[in-house]
Amino acid sequence: MSTPSSLDVLIEALRCLPGVGPKSAQRMAFHLLQRDQRGAARLATALGHALEVLRHCSRCNTFCEDEVCARCASPQRDASQLCVVEMPSDLAMLEQTHSYHGLYYVLMGRLSPLDGIGPRELGLEKFLGRACDGAVQEVILATNFTNEGEATAHMISELLKSRGIKVSRIARGIPVGGELEHTDSGTIAQALVERRSL
Amino acid sequence: MSARQRIDQQPGFVLHSYPYRETSLIVEVFSRDHGRIGLVAKGARRPMSQLRGVLMAFQPLLIDWSGGGEMKTLVRAEWQGGQPLLGGQALLCAYYLNELLMRLLPREDPHPVLFRAYGDALRALAAGEGQEVILRRFELALLQELGYGLQLDSDADGAPVRPELRYAYIIERGAVPLDEYGIDDPSVVAGRVLLDMARGDFREPETLAGAKALMRRLIQHYLGGQVLQSRRVFTELFAFPGDPS
Repeated sequence: MSTPSSLDVLIEALRCLPGVGPKSAQRMAFHLLQRDQRGAARLATALGHALEVLRHCSRCNTFCEDEVCARCASPQRDASQLCVVEMPSDLAMLEQTHSYHGLYYVLMGRLSPLDGIGPRELGLEKFLGRACDGAVQEVILATNFTNEGEATAHMISELLKSRGIKVSRIARGIPVGGELEHTDSGTIAQALVERRSL
Repeated sequence: MSARQRIDQQPGFVLHSYPYRETSLIVEVFSRDHGRIGLVAKGARRPMSQLRGVLMAFQPLLIDWSGGGEMKTLVRAEWQGGQPLLGGQALLCAYYLNELLMRLLPREDPHPVLFRAYGDALRALAAGEGQEVILRRFELALLQELGYGLQLDSDADGAPVRPELRYAYIIERGAVPLDEYGIDDPSVVAGRVLLDMARGDFREPETLAGAKALMRRLIQHYLGGQVLQSRRVFTELFAFPGDPS
């Protein structure tokens, strides 16, 4: 059986999604075309529109539709604090806490020396420009507590220290309301290493 | 095809991992008795996966896996502990060690001696010891173990190396007393440096510098033109545009 070429093109196109192989791509394509044509049309329009209007905020680098996103433009936010996160989803988590009122910078990735992702690939020049705008007094590093996140935090702190900007790292340890009995030993071990005097 | 086998409680370290399918990871592991192996960690990227915090590079693990093909299936990984997480410059050094192993160590080639040297190097990095010395020791152990055995205490003709002489170290041949080569040759190394390296004694600054140059040349040679990404990232960081320091 030979499939028409436009179907082939669609299946091939769907494979660009992470974790989607040939089988899943085929299943998605059949579903969209046979079971949910309206959904398919909506997806096509939304994708086209997003591609057209979305860009990176010139201040915080996250996705937005204008030159500067609403958060960066807001006078309510404290411009002296700049919190660095890896992805927009991390920014959303921090916003959910309702306990941070400064501004953000979204790296859109992390350093990964073995994959060849270094300061240049991460676009750290743009970040440095942002951090050294004169208003920022403290940079808070909220990259993940993975090796890559730690390496990213180290690299940024090295770059900022020489520029005289205060750098801090979010704390890690036992989760709020956590019981030692149910906490993994790696977390407990590190909480011991990083204990603080009272 | 080799028979399906099950390996239990094997000491090992994660060298590198990358996403596989929707929720899984492919993990490159350096194990004590089976060398470098590739494991599929099913579901390791699910939000609640027990493996998420365990399959981290540079931490001593005990690993169970099964399967006989090139890709095996991870069954269990246990964090062994006893070593603080790496941070700062030590973390970047550790990436370099992992990249060397990823690029130079063939799969399924057991190297228990090198495994011990790797564990020692990570422990020393975590303890904050001198990074240059740790790296040079590991590089030496790596090349010896991979069978590129460096001849450091005798010259290319088998005569003992003399500390006061200068040598040209010719890859695959060994140290040649200098009268055969010009002074400006990049391969020039002092006999004293070679002897210090043979003993693993890196206290002299001259030895440390000489060893660094020699090891870099050797490793570059055995990499056969591959670029070490971790070293590139390293140098880029220090030569960052607009850096006032």
